Amino acid sequence: MNAVTTIENGVVKTLCRMCSNRCSIAVHIQQGHMQDVTPLSGNPINRGRMCPRGKASLDVFYHSDRIRKPLKRQPDGSFVEISREQALDEIAQKMLDIKDCWGARSLGMWKGEAVGFLQQEEYPRRFAHAFGTPNYFSNDSACFNGRFLGHHLVTGFWNPFPYYAEADLILLFGTNPPVCHPPFMAEFADAKAHGANLVVIDPRLNPVACYADIFAQPLPGTDGALAWGLIRYLVNAGEYDHTTVEQYSLGFEAVVEYAQKFTPEFVENETGVFAHVVVDIARLIIQNRPKVSFYMGAGLEHHDNGVDNIRAMVVLSCLTGGLDIACGLGWPENMPRNKLTLYDQLPLETEKPIGADLFPALYDIRKECHSMTAMEYMLGKGEYPLKGLIITGANPAVTNPNTTKVEEALKSLDLLVVNDLFMTQTARLAHYVLPAASFLERSEIHIDPKHQRVYLTNKVVDVPGIKDEYMLWHDLALRLGFGERYFPWENETQVNAYILEPSGITLEELKTHPEGIQYSPLTFQKHLSRPLPTPSGKLEFSSAYLEKLGYAAIPKYVRPYHLRHRSKAYPLLLTTGARKTLFYHSRHQNLKNFRKLHPEAKVEIHPEDAAKLGIENGDQVRIVSDIGELTVAANIVHKAELRRGVVEMYHGWEEWRINFTTFDQVNDPISGFPLLKGVPVRIEKV
Amino acid sequence: MKIVYVELDRCIACLSCQQACQMQQAAKGNGDHAGIYVNVDMDRRQIFTGTCLQCETPRCMEVCPIDALTRDAATGAIVVAKDLCFGCGLCVDACPFGYMRLDDDIFKAVKCDLCNGNPVCVQVCMAEALHFGNIEQLSQKKRQHPGLRLGLRALPKTEDSDL
Repeated sequence: MNAVTTIENGVVKTLCRMCSNRCSIAVHIQQGHMQDVTPLSGNPINRGRMCPRGKASLDVFYHSDRIRKPLKRQPDGSFVEISREQALDEIAQKMLDIKDCWGARSLGMWKGEAVGFLQQEEYPRRFAHAFGTPNYFSNDSACFNGRFLGHHLVTGFWNPFPYYAEADLILLFGTNPPVCHPPFMAEFADAKAHGANLVVIDPRLNPVACYADIFAQPLPGTDGALAWGLIRYLVNAGEYDHTTVEQYSLGFEAVVEYAQKFTPEFVENETGVFAHVVVDIARLIIQNRPKVSFYMGAGLEHHDNGVDNIRAMVVLSCLTGGLDIACGLGWPENMPRNKLTLYDQLPLETEKPIGADLFPALYDIRKECHSMTAMEYMLGKGEYPLKGLIITGANPAVTNPNTTKVEEALKSLDLLVVNDLFMTQTARLAHYVLPAASFLERSEIHIDPKHQRVYLTNKVVDVPGIKDEYMLWHDLALRLGFGERYFPWENETQVNAYILEPSGITLEELKTHPEGIQYSPLTFQKHLSRPLPTPSGKLEFSSAYLEKLGYAAIPKYVRPYHLRHRSKAYPLLLTTGARKTLFYHSRHQNLKNFRKLHPEAKVEIHPEDAAKLGIENGDQVRIVSDIGELTVAANIVHKAELRRGVVEMYHGWEEWRINFTTFDQVNDPISGFPLLKGVPVRIEKV
Repeated sequence: MKIVYVELDRCIACLSCQQACQMQQAAKGNGDHAGIYVNVDMDRRQIFTGTCLQCETPRCMEVCPIDALTRDAATGAIVVAKDLCFGCGLCVDACPFGYMRLDDDIFKAVKCDLCNGNPVCVQVCMAEALHFGNIEQLSQKKRQHPGLRLGLRALPKTEDSDL
């Protein structure tokens, strides 16, 4: 590959973006060739270590399959290389055609996790509004937003990452941190070293559960019942933080009243977690409060009752007295910065953002449209048609539910542009595929709310002809006539300087601190001196905002879909998306080294379920749900590894897309999240 | 003499070390075996991770009939000379800890070679369970956290608890 490193020999310090954890790394360059990536010390996130995914950054960069030239699809389905100028000219013209014919809102922008957050997320948000469409979609509609809403609706903020090391008790729900958040591990180990207890609640036994004092295996989607059971135990014992409740919260009486039916026996019946284990967990919380850390993973949000289950957990966390303490619900200070979004200058609420009618809180709080509903609009079943999409760093043809419908919808578009590193399943459906820049080719700002640090990544290498994210939106905007007004910066560095302006920190300072700079000192217990950022200024155990939108004010427990729709035809429960150490969602499957360790998709099944179905390890089996099916190999796991009756499969495989079987129309009523972790299925031996 | 030391109390079995080592070994043409092993015992819910201790009196080296195992002068690691080793397996039997393996693909003994003094397993151990240091320093480390080892973290007892 014709790559030009920013220095000929030496080390460039930057941040890893192989996942979203922001670890500091050093890229070693010899004679213009990047040789190795090693961890850097000084950044409290990775503390001088890194993970194997990050170690493989260069394998991604130098990969022979990388898209290097813009591609245009021909009528026969093949792709030919065209110049970037031609590609952008044609794309801009088609966008204008769609705008003339159907209106600007018939175009959408879609950002994926592979691109990143902060400015990378704000470019498409800005671009969409400058163009005149409110339709911004992202990976967040199937990851993160559910938990954000669950926390935000109670406390008004969400800092996902407590200081675990300071906790005396850590409770993990539906998550596998060693794999999805490797930096947590050191903190767990630090906490254990001073005698902290660890409780892991998950239908799947991950090795981290071997490290736990209590491991409980509930039925998927029943976490709300468990949360209410624990709340009941705490309030009935009078063992909750009275100051928090009396001075800083709303709706405690309703919580106490509603909690009464969640006796340990009721919880056992609902969740499958033994009553005495529920009591043990409650007593551990009482014994260790307020130094209790709660972490809810994506396992909780992929349910049709996800947000309320999470809200109930947050209420529980508040009752322990964890509000704005280091190991509890930390309230992060934001860095003063310029935002790139145009929600104040060019609001487009009246343009009917897709999904805002169905999931008003999602649009109101996150300014995010609902990607599952977008498929309906593409297929002509919406209020207006969605005719074009620009997708960057996202792969909905793999990761969105109901793959058959997603493919059909994407194929029906008049214009589909995909900006990516590789020919993903989504890119294969595109009219135009643009070569994206990897993180090593970008310079961008990152903010870590937990440590209140800001980072600047340093560009390590340049590939002639491949432009970064900013230039994609900038060059398109120029062609569409709003470039000078809304994308006036010449390059990413100028954008970075603009973003930083109000912070008092300069780009030069950040450049000399690859380990990041703390933008404000950590302070805690801020609710003692100022109101919380909720509508009422208090903790909202009961939310008037939600009540006004027609939801229950307190996070009432609703039985999950699979318990409401039991059927003999689909006796098993499929949960998808347990993370793999080396892949990151649908990424990195094309790395030879990684593939050797995860060669093919397998559905994990309990030995007793397998025996009943006459399935042996490695047999090809068909997973059938109400909407689709998929054939993969069976992996019979250890009897403790899964709950009986639950099968699990990874969600990101390009060749074996489990989302052929997942529902796009069974959604959480508040966040609109799809049901990905409790799909009724049957398994047949092929 | 520096070795890789596993602080077992911190290992959460993320498998990063084993996977990164395996990739590193494969890149060096040393077959498909990692030089560090993470063992998760699902029955006992126990994690055990271990790697070559680069012994002062290395049994593996002693039994090798053709001196294919030598101590690297720079790192102190015991290394396999790939061009000499013919895969007799005596070293595998001799190692009292089980950290010497035969790779089925290349028919040679494979083991931890300390990656020229910057072990990749330690770089990727985000739990900070793996340490690379001299033996004196590491023995100090081992004496830390006595409270944990003495079992001071007791669960609250309930009458019918069988946990």
